[in-house]
Amino acid sequence: MIEWFTATDHKKIGIMYIVATMTFFVAAGILAMMIRAQLARPDNALLSAQLYNQIFTLHGTAMIFFVIAPFGLGLANFIVPLQIGAPDMAFPRLNATSLWLFILGGIIMFLGFATYGGASANGWTNYAPLSEISEGTGAGNDFWTIGVLMAGVSTILTAVNLTTTVFLLRAPGMTMWRVPIFTWEIVATSLLILMAFPSLTAVLFMVLIDRHLGGHFFDPVYGGNPILYQHLFWFFGHPEVYVMILPYFGIVTEVIATFSHKPVFGYVGLVLAAFAIAGLSIGVWAHHMFTTGAVSNPFFSAVSFLIAVPTGVKFVNWIGTMWKGSLEFTTAMLFSLGFLFNFLLGGITGVMVASPPIDYQTHDSYFIVHHFHYTLGGGSMFALFSALFFWFPKIFGVRLNETLGKWFFWLMFIGFNLTFLPMAFMGIEGMARRVYTYPNVEHLALLNGLATAGGAIMGIAFLLFIANVFISAFANVPVPSNPWGGYSLEWATSSPPPEHNFETLPPITSRRPALDLMNT
Amino acid sequence: MKTFVGLFFTSTGFGLAILIAYWFIGHEETTGTVLLAIMTSALAFAATYAVIAERNARLDGDGEKLTPEDTKGEDLGIFTTQSAYPILVALSVLFMLLGILYSPLLAFVAIVALLLCLWRLGAESARI
Ligand SMILES: [Cu+2]
Repeated sequence: MIEWFTATDHKKIGIMYIVATMTFFVAAGILAMMIRAQLARPDNALLSAQLYNQIFTLHGTAMIFFVIAPFGLGLANFIVPLQIGAPDMAFPRLNATSLWLFILGGIIMFLGFATYGGASANGWTNYAPLSEISEGTGAGNDFWTIGVLMAGVSTILTAVNLTTTVFLLRAPGMTMWRVPIFTWEIVATSLLILMAFPSLTAVLFMVLIDRHLGGHFFDPVYGGNPILYQHLFWFFGHPEVYVMILPYFGIVTEVIATFSHKPVFGYVGLVLAAFAIAGLSIGVWAHHMFTTGAVSNPFFSAVSFLIAVPTGVKFVNWIGTMWKGSLEFTTAMLFSLGFLFNFLLGGITGVMVASPPIDYQTHDSYFIVHHFHYTLGGGSMFALFSALFFWFPKIFGVRLNETLGKWFFWLMFIGFNLTFLPMAFMGIEGMARRVYTYPNVEHLALLNGLATAGGAIMGIAFLLFIANVFISAFANVPVPSNPWGGYSLEWATSSPPPEHNFETLPPITSRRPALDLMNT
Repeated sequence: MKTFVGLFFTSTGFGLAILIAYWFIGHEETTGTVLLAIMTSALAFAATYAVIAERNARLDGDGEKLTPEDTKGEDLGIFTTQSAYPILVALSVLFMLLGILYSPLLAFVAIVALLLCLWRLGAESARI
């Protein structure tokens, strides 16, 4: 047991990331179920308004900072060194430090529920001056700030580690232009983290200074400026959504190419699109601030529209990869296809709200909740499960049950769309987000009822997934090194890999070394 | 020029482009300009460092025709698999932050512990 606490091997750290993020996922999922229970009927009083605020705050924060973003980087921790033929990450001790900063950060944030006054209730954005008013947001908000601060610093350290690893530790012959797309997406993500995350660290320290050390950065009474908070927060906050999507683009690319049994279509285009998305996402932060009237709406709107272009390129590449391939509909493939469908819907509403007139109408309504759940839930979360089914045999040496997996996928797909599609219409009918109840007007009762039913289906589906993990682990059927006919280098070593990753490295002469090895 | 050096330069160029565009279009708004300027200069620093680092780097990964046979016996250094200091560093950081907010004594103890752990961690990694 103690060896796990002191482990610096990237595979153990990767596994701990996966276990920790899935644990936080369960906690955030339970909070989501409570939200849906409260909203099941109009004028419901199951939860108090203040408790509801705490629940949606921790649901959002946990999903963003402690599930979706760290799962991508944690998976990269396991997979990237294997994909490039490295014996470990460049800085193993730094890697372990990142892991523990992240885990302790998540724990301290959730401990907010145990404090007098409860957990933070300010939403995941923690806007000032709200976050600086002490009443009702006592230690819980401090715990939240400390937790997110630690997760943010952990992310920066991981980005340094991953970039260094990919740039310097590639195996002989593994040139940058032979590196798999997942690794490329991780490089783009890491560069984006290095550009955007320092702003988060700064703004959270400023909040702590204001709250405890007599500062007035965001307090207009003393000459501070609350808009400054929004600038600093969203300068990090928008790139963060790409930190939560780029790794998942990588996963989907690998899964689709593997189960289409074809090389990736438009490899260079995919790489360039990843960097175009990362670069553009630095120039769009104030599209979250259109309604403040304090920013240049035309600039931020125009750059936001531009992001649709490289994203469209990626869709063309994914479809081109499947074109005339012999498709194999495994659970991993189904989840990646589900990703394409859901993310497309989320992307289209994204283009809509990038237009200031539409944003003025839908700002802070359920339309926005609909939009970002389609990108991060139907998008990233579906790709997350795709990755688990795809790499589970490599990481743990057992394959997950495919029949249960397909049931899990279809229940998730139906449950997800049933939950979040109605939210678009709730938003159009004027239902505000972050409000603990709503009156029985228009079709709100019906739409919310559907959403809660969908939430219940997703809950049941997830129980099926947990059962699948245990059943598959007990069955314990050993898997070969390359169970799916994968092409990238991680499939050329045993499942799970030995301590130093490769007993013998195969020669790398193309972008598909594992297939080359199978054919010789 | 190696691909990763090019990457840093392209990123710097991109930062500069956005900075200039933002300067002209959103000129009444200084916060964003300053943020972009800080970001671009940090990238420029990284790009410059990459050029210097590239000079004495010989990366096997960049040799298109290199095979594992060619680099046999090459020393990759030692990759440690166990160390107690990372988790101790993380714990010290947590208690340092809690201390700064609630108890100067706790903060002091945690900072001492943090420095001690970092020092021991450095010594440990220098030893091997
Ligand atoms: Cu955004």
